Amino acid sequence: MIVVLDALNREQHHSILDEMYKLRARVFRDRLGWDVEVRDGREMDVFDELYPAHVISMNDDGKVVGCMRLLQTTGPHMLSDVFSDILDGEPPLRSSTIWEATRFCVDTNTLDQGRGRNSISYVTSEVMIGSFEYAMRAGIQDAVAVIDPVMNRVLKRSGNAPYDYLGTPKQMGKVVAMAALMDCSAERVASIREFAGIQHDVFVGEDDLIMPMERAAA
Amino acid sequence: MDLVDLSTIPDGDIHFQDFIDQLCEKLELEYASYATTNPVNGAVQGYANYPDEWKKHYIGQAFQEFDPTLHATSRSVAPIEWRRFKRNADFRRVFDAAGEFGVSSQGLSIPIRGMYGDSAIFSVTRNCDDREWGLLLPEIIVELQMSAVHMHDAVLRSSLLMKAIAKPALSGREKEILQWTAAGKSQADIGDILGISNRTVEVHIRSAREKIGALSTTQAVARAVSMGIIHAI
Repeated sequence: MIVVLDALNREQHHSILDEMYKLRARVFRDRLGWDVEVRDGREMDVFDELYPAHVISMNDDGKVVGCMRLLQTTGPHMLSDVFSDILDGEPPLRSSTIWEATRFCVDTNTLDQGRGRNSISYVTSEVMIGSFEYAMRAGIQDAVAVIDPVMNRVLKRSGNAPYDYLGTPKQMGKVVAMAALMDCSAERVASIREFAGIQHDVFVGEDDLIMPMERAAA
Repeated sequence: MDLVDLSTIPDGDIHFQDFIDQLCEKLELEYASYATTNPVNGAVQGYANYPDEWKKHYIGQAFQEFDPTLHATSRSVAPIEWRRFKRNADFRRVFDAAGEFGVSSQGLSIPIRGMYGDSAIFSVTRNCDDREWGLLLPEIIVELQMSAVHMHDAVLRSSLLMKAIAKPALSGREKEILQWTAAGKSQADIGDILGISNRTVEVHIRSAREKIGALSTTQAVARAVSMGIIHAI
């Protein structure tokens, strides 16, 4: 299930946010070897302080198993600042209807390789569905996502191929980063849903949030 | 898309007011408002077409100091529907009063983030039930997003200092596509010429248009020529 944490509700649900920062540290520093700053086992950067929207996937035990971060391209974002190398020195896109997606990851320690609810594939699709549906509701038409070639391959194989790329892939620490373009459209969401076999509403209402978290703490 | 274009309305503060009126008319909304703090000179600028009596009451009660549609929304990424505030005491205090002036609590606030640390809030409201609102919103949300940023950029550009520093930074791709557009090529043609998808052409045109502050591609081309960004054909 997907929960979106933003400036309005992040205080109430800071334990979820905290778990997400820990997941990002495990993925981006420990597994992928990105040059990211980790404090107390939590990966956080300046963009997290700009109150981005965090699309977070939680499993039935209330554990954070996947996430993605969304920011407007009209203001400061990663491609305009830290990832500008990818764009070969060109100015980034700037549009009221384009969002930037970064820090996309899933918990490969908890999830398996299969196709069930507890798989990497399922959670990847769930985060993507949640992000695109959330963006569409906000009037967003396209997303530019900073991803690595592994993720790029995953997207292509899950009914969610980028329609183009900006600039050229660049070595960032141990990995290559690239900027992929994806339309936020009903067609794309339908294609991901079909691949993943997810037909239900992926979002959890805020009132329902407490339950799984309490279960996790018990 | 046939947006209300700020540049077609005569200069001065009055054109922001007209922009709001025209947008409400077009999108079947009752009222709209815009507020920003200029990061350069600290001045607060606001425009709204609420009834004068409500504006007076609002300021008299200093609602702006705690109105959550003005404060809590400014750090959001996505537009915030006001029904999220239903259980918020401050919201109820402002909008119980608003109801007496015929201003509905059915509304939405769009946060705007600019490149210079500037931000703004664009809010719209309509007197209708949840069902009607739910039907209207998906129809107008894209245009609302574009209009909100269009208005904000125009307000920023209207300050002299911003005029001096805010030169549109177009990428090579954006310039190239505008140049081919100026040469009369269609989006599909340009995609073929550059070996990229139609959607990629579209996404660059949209970005270029907004950077230049134009609402139509034709206008973007004309302005890009006059700014010396591309050549006239």
